[in-house]
Amino acid sequence: MRNLFTGAIIGVVVLSLSSLAMAQAAQPQQANQVIPVWKYDPADRAVGTGGPAPRRDLSGSWAGPRSGAGVPDGQRGEPPPMTPMGKQLFEQNKPLGKFSPAGTNDPTVRTCDPYGFPRNAIDEIRGLAFATMPGRIVVLEQFQDIWREVWMDGRELPKNVGATEKNSPDPKYNGYSVGHWEDDYTLVIDTTGIDERTWLSGAGYPHTMNAHVQERYKRTSHNDLELTVTVDDPALYTKPFSLGKFNFRWVPNQMLDEKLCVPSDVIEYLKAVGDPAGSDPNANTGRF
Amino acid sequence: MKMKTLISVVIVAGLLLVCRPVSAHHGAAAYDMTKAVELKNAVVTKFTWANPHALIYFDVKDEGGEVKHWAVEAGSPSAIGVVGWSRNSVKPGDVVTIWLFQTKTGVPVGRLNKIQFADGSLLRDSQTGGENGARTDDGLR
Repeated sequence: MRNLFTGAIIGVVVLSLSSLAMAQAAQPQQANQVIPVWKYDPADRAVGTGGPAPRRDLSGSWAGPRSGAGVPDGQRGEPPPMTPMGKQLFEQNKPLGKFSPAGTNDPTVRTCDPYGFPRNAIDEIRGLAFATMPGRIVVLEQFQDIWREVWMDGRELPKNVGATEKNSPDPKYNGYSVGHWEDDYTLVIDTTGIDERTWLSGAGYPHTMNAHVQERYKRTSHNDLELTVTVDDPALYTKPFSLGKFNFRWVPNQMLDEKLCVPSDVIEYLKAVGDPAGSDPNANTGRF
Repeated sequence: MKMKTLISVVIVAGLLLVCRPVSAHHGAAAYDMTKAVELKNAVVTKFTWANPHALIYFDVKDEGGEVKHWAVEAGSPSAIGVVGWSRNSVKPGDVVTIWLFQTKTGVPVGRLNKIQFADGSLLRDSQTGGENGARTDDGLR
């Protein structure tokens, strides 16, 4: 009798927690719900794990943080320890979170300049896709319709980006990337040669063009993908550090939204709201 | 019910209750987030569905009967799109009640808290639409 009673209580708890978990985490589609073919719809959510991940394959579209697709929260990294030069450069940067659109010198906010990598892999990432092409995987980021080529043919990263020799490659907003499969479900991408005008994140952390950034995409099931990003830039930071961990979920109908920073829209926004609102130098809402 | 299932359900439920979002507050530092200002009988003059923020322009008569032109920003279309908004949610001529967080400087500009339409329906901002300016998209990752 006692066992039966305990079992009943556990059953009730499990049922109520299960429904809570379902309501909060998945919000599965209703039977009569029509999923639009041509539109990203947050109600079009992958349910459950979808089974095991396919081998060495991330191809397709993924919903990212705050896309409405039931994506678990990620975690930003801790503020990194900086060298004196790193501190000097960091202190010149005025991030949007603290300085507002009117007072920031974030290169992207007032003119829609490119985020550059790795910021375009960790900020405003509501959608992400992978496409396979000869010798490379292309990573597509929804915000600003970005594509990055990741060479999988075994070549090494360039060692002389920005040098003065005739054949030295120039730094680029997305740098130069090579990738390899660490195991059947983990794609590791190494990048260097990133244009120094960009910030690592919206918090204003600087980098040099010699920074080495590593992304690790781990597909833990058919429907789940985890990204971690680490940075090694000894001129500015005393040790390698993590920009954080970010999660993605498979998009059942494979449609993603369009999300663009359009300069004429930003001009209207700054004129109507951003500049009149001003900036509060005492505000403390900085973020990583 | 197997013990494994029970344990995983409890862990999942626990995580859901414990996990809180990383605070972003994208550019909200210019606004007084301590109290939402309520503006009744606001007449919408324009709705801009664009990045980085959707904008609502509206007119409100102040206490002296003078019309004041306001502009308020909400989240980006993709952010408020997941909490019930669309490009057709607000139309010029709509008479609405708007709650917003005004600039610290006092100019007629703000960050949206929520907007109520003549039929009583309500739309909230994704980032500052909750009570006390809390996020409203936490359950809608």
